[in-house]
Amino acid sequence: MKRRDFLGGVGAVGTASVLSAPSLLTTAGRAMAQGNDIPVGLLFSLTGAVAVVESTLHNAALMAIEEINAAGGVHGRKLRPIIEDPASDPATYADRARRLMIRDKCVSVFGSYTSSSRQAVLPVTEQRKNLYWYPTLYEGRECSRNVMYGGAVPNQQQDVLVPWLVENFGPRFFMIGNNYVYPKEENNYCKSLLSELGGEVVSEEYVPMGHSDFSSVINRIRSEKPDVIFATVVGDSDVAFARQYHAAELDPEKMPVFSLTRSEVEVKAIGGEAAAGHFSSAPYFMGHKSPENEKFVEAYKSRYGGDQVTHFVSEAAYFQVYQFKAALEKLDPANITPEAIRDAAVGLKLKAPQGEILIDENLHTHLWPKIGQWQSNGQAEVLIQSEERVAPKPYAAYEGQTCTGEGLVKA
Amino acid sequence: MTSKFHYDLIALVIFAIVIAFGVPALMNYDGFELNTFARYLALAIASMALALSWGTAGLLNLGQAATFGMGSYAMAMHLKLRASDGLPDFMGWNNVSELPLIWVPFESLAFTLLAGLLIPAFIGGLTAVFMFRARIAGVFVAIITLAFLVAFQLLVINQQGMTGGQNGLTGLAQLSLPGWTVDPYSTGFYYLVAGCLTVALAIGVYLTHSKFGLILRAIREDADRTRFFGYNVATYQTAIFCLSAALAGWAGMLYTMVLEFASPTYMGVSFSLAIVIWCAVGGRESVIAAALGAIIVNMLEGRLSDVFVEGWHLMLGVIFVLVVMFMPRGIYGVITETAKRLHHPKRRHRKTDLQSSSTKQLETGQES
Amino acid sequence: MDVISNQLFAGLSMASILLMIALGLAIIYGAMGVINLAHGEFVMLGAYTTWALQTYAGIGILLALPIVFIVVAAVGWIIEKVVVQNLYHRPLDTILATWGIGIILQQAVRLGIGAESRFVKGPELLSGNTQIGPLIMSNYRIFLIFFSVAVLYGTWLLMTRTEFGMKLRAIIQNRGISECYGIEAKRIYSLTFAYGAGLAGIAGALITPLFSTIPTMGTGLVVDAFLVVIVGGLGSLIGAASAAVLIGEATALFSIVINDTLGRIAVLAGIIVLIRFRPRGLFPTETRR
Repeated sequence: MKRRDFLGGVGAVGTASVLSAPSLLTTAGRAMAQGNDIPVGLLFSLTGAVAVVESTLHNAALMAIEEINAAGGVHGRKLRPIIEDPASDPATYADRARRLMIRDKCVSVFGSYTSSSRQAVLPVTEQRKNLYWYPTLYEGRECSRNVMYGGAVPNQQQDVLVPWLVENFGPRFFMIGNNYVYPKEENNYCKSLLSELGGEVVSEEYVPMGHSDFSSVINRIRSEKPDVIFATVVGDSDVAFARQYHAAELDPEKMPVFSLTRSEVEVKAIGGEAAAGHFSSAPYFMGHKSPENEKFVEAYKSRYGGDQVTHFVSEAAYFQVYQFKAALEKLDPANITPEAIRDAAVGLKLKAPQGEILIDENLHTHLWPKIGQWQSNGQAEVLIQSEERVAPKPYAAYEGQTCTGEGLVKA
Repeated sequence: MTSKFHYDLIALVIFAIVIAFGVPALMNYDGFELNTFARYLALAIASMALALSWGTAGLLNLGQAATFGMGSYAMAMHLKLRASDGLPDFMGWNNVSELPLIWVPFESLAFTLLAGLLIPAFIGGLTAVFMFRARIAGVFVAIITLAFLVAFQLLVINQQGMTGGQNGLTGLAQLSLPGWTVDPYSTGFYYLVAGCLTVALAIGVYLTHSKFGLILRAIREDADRTRFFGYNVATYQTAIFCLSAALAGWAGMLYTMVLEFASPTYMGVSFSLAIVIWCAVGGRESVIAAALGAIIVNMLEGRLSDVFVEGWHLMLGVIFVLVVMFMPRGIYGVITETAKRLHHPKRRHRKTDLQSSSTKQLETGQES
Repeated sequence: MDVISNQLFAGLSMASILLMIALGLAIIYGAMGVINLAHGEFVMLGAYTTWALQTYAGIGILLALPIVFIVVAAVGWIIEKVVVQNLYHRPLDTILATWGIGIILQQAVRLGIGAESRFVKGPELLSGNTQIGPLIMSNYRIFLIFFSVAVLYGTWLLMTRTEFGMKLRAIIQNRGISECYGIEAKRIYSLTFAYGAGLAGIAGALITPLFSTIPTMGTGLVVDAFLVVIVGGLGSLIGAASAAVLIGEATALFSIVINDTLGRIAVLAGIIVLIRFRPRGLFPTETRR
């Protein structure tokens, strides 16, 4: 008995020393600059719940990198994409971002879709003075000097949309969203707009993330009979919502859903028939007519398959790589640092698929808001296009706070 | 106290020496590598805590992540208050105008450290009393704790004004102890975590070999018989549940410091099951083995995901299934079985006949 | 009043979905004591099989059901043979092994078919609504309710009126003695597991028109299904059915009284209390285990 137990203990230690084998411990496998390449990180979930969307962002960003490389790179140097899979888990995002920024010495990292994953990366990118390119629309009220925000903030999504809704459909809004910060913040901003326009919120509902049975919500919509259903439901919840809304035979002619989050990806899963007649507000739709967009859609389809779709986040994932390239070109090749890239990027103009965009000094992007109505073929018909480029105001809902080139300024 | 105690002590000392000197030296005291390893060590505490309740007392707690999350939020609340002047930013955005009452005492570091241990212990104790008074056992413990975990996570996400909701608590300060601001990339921080793990393991080793541990094992084997001996089974079960919860909370506090944010995913079902997996891979019977299990699986995960970006998740699944099938007692089991056979070569044939085919394969695998 | 009657129907509809998912689990758990965390992935496989049949062979959901059942049952049968069979003497370890299997299935589908969400069209025949006074019911949901009752009845017949069912019940009572009477317990177990998996596949096929079809769709379902099984009582079909109705209706009613999130918390709390005071479920069966 004694002897066995002793060996048991020793064995445990034995394993410890086996573990200490350097091959397992030092993770510096494919790190470090290979020759003259510029290492850039790609941090999009390829597995897990968010992979549905993030895999398309990954594809778009990777395509842009390879297009740039095929055209000769930047200053004759190639971009070397280093790919990580954070598996839709914030802790893994933090871990993989450390790898990319510290170990692999990427000068920039492109990544993520959800707010929580961006927040997980934030401490690393700020502390290491790196640059994180975030392509997604988000709730605003963030003013990091180490994140490049490529998506719309509430004012860019709603300033055109909400007055148009009140005017054309009526003042009674039913708000439905997932239970997290983005929907709440969009609804906050919407409420402040509504109070100026004389609209009212008949109900404000939040369902848990991943919620998939909307029969209760639909019953409530049916009994409230609102003019507008203002939806910020995301991902597979939105797919379930749209399909059940359709199955309940609620008529988009009478009670249309206006979504800030529904894109071509979701519509593909919802099915054109169920999505038809409802609306989305976004700076980009796949069906938008511009030479840049035709080129983008064409390239994307020929690369990933004819049934693939582009959408307002993958467009940003794509153009952000080009913004990065344009910033690099302004720099001295010998002196490329993330912060130099950031400073070079400010004020940069670029012809993106959605139109000519501009990077604000607050590192958000000036965009072209549009309102599209979904058709049964899964594409949106752009009904309204903003006449001018709309500036990003991430603190629009908070009086006295502005995000500037020096960071957040409180009046 | 048996002599096994001494052998476990030796194992513990060697383990401590390896993580204190071997590991940092191998990594050249590199900040990034140490930070990554410190994360594994923090998780190892959660895993060994589970080994105490699962391995020793036979109570499979699928809600371990809930108590882990309480610890991590306690620490995050303190660090958030340190980082903000006045009201934390996210509260303002959620129309909370005054610091909620339960946040106030987290200004104090001493309170935070105590709360990070005692709140999980208290909640763990409540669930334990609730369950064990009714003599709930086996799979029902697993299901109740799982349901509790799901409900608790939903509650935390729902109280966005108080907890930061889905995003969790971010934008934290670094912990400042008297005379030391803890930088998560420093060697000092690594030693802090390594030290905590060693202390936790020492507590675990001591407990499992004490009379308390013996009674717990008796309860695991046959609760009724232990009850007939006059022991209050529920009290013992509650005690180990509290302790395990407190250790998990401790692990959570360290984890928040490593990753510099707290997220409700720390209280997720998949994270909770992951802890169970680490514990099973290492061997639930020994706290040291369970800690090793956490370190090995996480290291493997890190390594696999580095090399196989597409397939790493699939490989992990395959490895788990293989481990459960062929290593029922984890790495610890493999080692003790091998050791036993090496030292009783005569009994070898008879033993092999008795063992199931799966164990046979395992053992031949070990020898080759 | 309108709201309440509509909510009651919504609860019944949720219950029917829960029941279909939980039924296979109840059989596997009740008969074999295996806690199958890969059950959600069987549901997912059923959904993907339906998608593949619809997209590549043009077969609608209703016609696809038998094929889906066979495909998923076959997968279940293989998994039982290769993995689960070796773990009957270690029931808690089945939690871990089946969780690993779940990861494998999920990742295999992701690598093979892709991470994106797939579209499955609902049956034309069952589109539209039926309106009775203020009560508006989707035809498809009505169909689901009746179908789940039919599946429940079919399973009950299988368990009580067939030789297979008799053998299975004998094994549940006492495996050793049953084997002495010449019942091949291993074979019966494999078939039972396959049957449970097949039911999950059918559930998957039927819920796709309402939900989204992605590799991770099963993960969230398995916890709920498990709660139904435990609340219902070990291996009790009628228990599973009443637990599903209870949980479905409670969820629907709480969600109008409070809101969806707090409603779910309240239901979970209720379940915990219920298990505490009735650990053997609403309808405990007398077995010697």
